[in-house]
Amino acid sequence: MMVGAATFHTAMAEIVVGSMVLATLCAIGCSISRIIPTSEINNESLMVTMDRASLAGSVLALIFLPIAILSGNIAADGQAESALLYNKFVYSGLALGFWSAFVIGRIRMGPGLWEERPLAFLQSATAGIAFLMTSMASSIGGKLVRGESLFDVLPFWLPSETASILPLWASFSLLTLGITSSALVFKFTLPKIVRIE
Amino acid sequence: MNRSAIVFLICITLILAPGSSVANPGGNGDGDRDYSCGGSCHGDPALSMPSDATIEITTGNEAFSGQAVAIHVTIEDISTPSNIIGIFILGSLNGNSDTPEDHGWHLIQDPNGGSSNYIETKAPSSGSVTVTWVLLSPANSGSHSLYAEIHHGSYAGDKAYSGVSEKFEVIVQDVPEGLPGLANDWIAPSFRVSGDSSLLSISTRNSTDISVEWMLDGEWNPTSVESVCIEETEDFCNDWEVSIPATMGEANILYRVTTYNGTFAVEQPWLKMGTAPPPFEGDVWSARAHSFAFALLIISFLVTLQARLYPSIERDILDQTQIVASSEMIRSEENPGWLWNPESQEWIEDPEYNGGDE
Repeated sequence: MMVGAATFHTAMAEIVVGSMVLATLCAIGCSISRIIPTSEINNESLMVTMDRASLAGSVLALIFLPIAILSGNIAADGQAESALLYNKFVYSGLALGFWSAFVIGRIRMGPGLWEERPLAFLQSATAGIAFLMTSMASSIGGKLVRGESLFDVLPFWLPSETASILPLWASFSLLTLGITSSALVFKFTLPKIVRIE
Repeated sequence: MNRSAIVFLICITLILAPGSSVANPGGNGDGDRDYSCGGSCHGDPALSMPSDATIEITTGNEAFSGQAVAIHVTIEDISTPSNIIGIFILGSLNGNSDTPEDHGWHLIQDPNGGSSNYIETKAPSSGSVTVTWVLLSPANSGSHSLYAEIHHGSYAGDKAYSGVSEKFEVIVQDVPEGLPGLANDWIAPSFRVSGDSSLLSISTRNSTDISVEWMLDGEWNPTSVESVCIEETEDFCNDWEVSIPATMGEANILYRVTTYNGTFAVEQPWLKMGTAPPPFEGDVWSARAHSFAFALLIISFLVTLQARLYPSIERDILDQTQIVASSEMIRSEENPGWLWNPESQEWIEDPEYNGGDE
């Protein structure tokens, strides 16, 4: 029994978006929890729960995101035939980048990162932007298949129907720059980030 | 209000929120479809209601077998919240094999410029709309039936409203010997790319000459253009090229072909040609590389930012006992109370030193 790539892609995208909603809400909740005074509701137990839920949600999403991207590639039949589809590729890459950075930060620094206000703000902002990028990629999928999206009801809409197309050489130059910069960051910068006790 | 009540209210709101957007309020696209979408939920009496619109079919010209005929469908008194109305032209109401093609007709052009028997269009605020299909009549003469069906949304949001016209009889007459017309296998082009002024090919039959006139959609004064015969046979020329001006933006151009056999002329129905945007020139490998480049650059940038915001002071005030315990420090007789760290090449205070007292 086989299912089409498009159906499989939809299922994977739903898992990714569902997990990311949980991760984003909990990450933002962790930041807010550290800003507002401790109370009966805002206690340490809630903080620990939200931190673990955000980590679990983002890790799950990060596992399924490459599967969703690959199945989407297969469903697109190797074509980037419209600006919408081209932007779907780009927003998926942005989502992958933001979620990876979120998970790297949380795993390297541990739950203690929420105690540092600038880091907590950065982490929740990363989750928020990552979710926005993921939602955009998913909404473009809705536009392509059904001609409508939940984002249609919003008063704003990130660019999706026009694309800044890079020539092949420019895209691969950018990719080389990305590989080089991440290799340098992983070699020299990442070891400096250790668990915050 | 307690927390349970708030959670309950949020859940109920979320469940009821999509109630006003059931089915496909954005439409389902043009296509070849049978009556009531071949037994879909729109045909289910429990899920549909009769539309209050009136539907009428008229023909634009006499129908000769194998010749083009314009079929006008006029819908009046329609009210739909989505402003989208789906219109079918059908050869029967069986629920299968209902398209005009299944009954000997051949679709040359639908009202949206394609060649489908089902189209979606905007319902104007006046509640009345007329759309035109151009079809080649069946090859066998006699009486042939056509129906028009519509479906649209409702203000209640939970029912599909549908309506079907009365049976419309088209009397197809035997074609007179040598009647000039459009070729059976010719399909009028739906679109031209914006700015494209290439010649338009027209295939005819039994024609010695053609004349073509065009006008922009909404105008009333057509302009004639010259036609060039491409391949002339013994008595006729059935392959023509005409130069119709390029269009830009969302302009639609209407054109009409008049076919001649000697002095005998047949005026064909008006045909519509839309303007398509230039083809997208993006490359899939460029998109993939672009995507992964952004992913890696974002990771690099954010990890650098995390390192920048990392509380560096924490490391300076760390208790160095663990470092000392886990390193191979060299205790020196000459510097009591200090340990030499060969890795960092520096002296570190010995936490175990108690001032020489045993």
